[in-house]
Amino acid sequence: MKMRLALWPLWWSFTLLTPVQAAAPELTLVIRDHLFFPATLEVPANQKVRLLVENQDPTPEEFESYQLNREKVIPGNSKTVIFIGPLPPGEYPFFGEFYPKTAQGKVVVK
Amino acid sequence: MFLDAVIQILQELFEAALLVSVLLALHQQLATAGHPGAALPTAWFWVAIAAGIVGSICYALAMPAVSEWFDYVGQEVTNAVMQLTVIASLFAYCLLLYRRRGRFAGYTLAAGVLLTVIVAFGITREGSEIILYVKGIGDSPTSVTPVLLGGGVAAGIGLSAGILLYFGLLQLPPVWGLRSTLGLLAMFAGNMASQAMLLLNQADWLPATPQVWDSSSLLPEFSIAGQLLYGLVGYEANPSVLQVLAYLTAGLLIATTPLFRSSWQSAPAREGGAVP
Repeated sequence: MKMRLALWPLWWSFTLLTPVQAAAPELTLVIRDHLFFPATLEVPANQKVRLLVENQDPTPEEFESYQLNREKVIPGNSKTVIFIGPLPPGEYPFFGEFYPKTAQGKVVVK
Repeated sequence: MFLDAVIQILQELFEAALLVSVLLALHQQLATAGHPGAALPTAWFWVAIAAGIVGSICYALAMPAVSEWFDYVGQEVTNAVMQLTVIASLFAYCLLLYRRRGRFAGYTLAAGVLLTVIVAFGITREGSEIILYVKGIGDSPTSVTPVLLGGGVAAGIGLSAGILLYFGLLQLPPVWGLRSTLGLLAMFAGNMASQAMLLLNQADWLPATPQVWDSSSLLPEFSIAGQLLYGLVGYEANPSVLQVLAYLTAGLLIATTPLFRSSWQSAPAREGGAVP
């Protein structure tokens, strides 16, 4: 908590320096019982998207996609943000690296 | 579950094992090439490994908090900073080893600290991911045994790969061995710089740049060959302009150090050729 307070000025300076952030549309992805909800995310083409990932499981998961070139650990019972795109139309599969058997999904860019 | 665990843990261990074995090979090669000042005392090696393990544990414990920094992109920023620190330290380390190459004064504190930073920051991210994975899976009693077994197998394979690379580099003719080792280090630096750019783009701190090539149908990154090449030379199936530029910049940074250049210049002398 102390650490976060100490980083506030930093956070603000960076937020002010990167006003582009606000422009990105946001989508939510939920992880529950080692599954992604929704399993298919529709995303506009050629546009950056802010993906808010909520891990409702008590266990950590790792969001991974070779096609999207993304990889990020999401601790249990926490949420995180992953920026993706801008992307050309197509299908981009992703999976949970810690539970690859069940945690599967894809981003469909239209 | 067993195979998943092997793959997951091996992926993380592989990079760390390669980095450590290339650094060890470099010291061995410099020492046999008649640069006793560059010989690595075993104590520093263990200090560096221990720092990497402690760093991994601390980072894994801090992960929930770190993740929330900077509006939920703290992980990307921290990882990128760690990777850029490793590159800078690797550069400084090459400069330091070159200065000490002909002297008998031995390994210095500064070199030991730099080595510790390189190894610790070089393996902390992967190490923390292994810890989080094992800890998370360990919560369900049925998967404890397969995950621990898988971890053991992965550790065996990862360690073997490191040992194989180490002895492979030492088996080469000395001149080419040193060149290969330094070449690999330059490519490790390139890979880390490229990953740092990717992470900062994922955090939206750096803009997206066009994709340079897409070789995912020729050689997918998730294939075994793709993974091996990723670990060795930083292969990416679809890198961005920024990543390629960063790779080249960091690689060239290491390649411009006197240590790297001398491995190409002094070859005729060591091979017994006539040098004025």
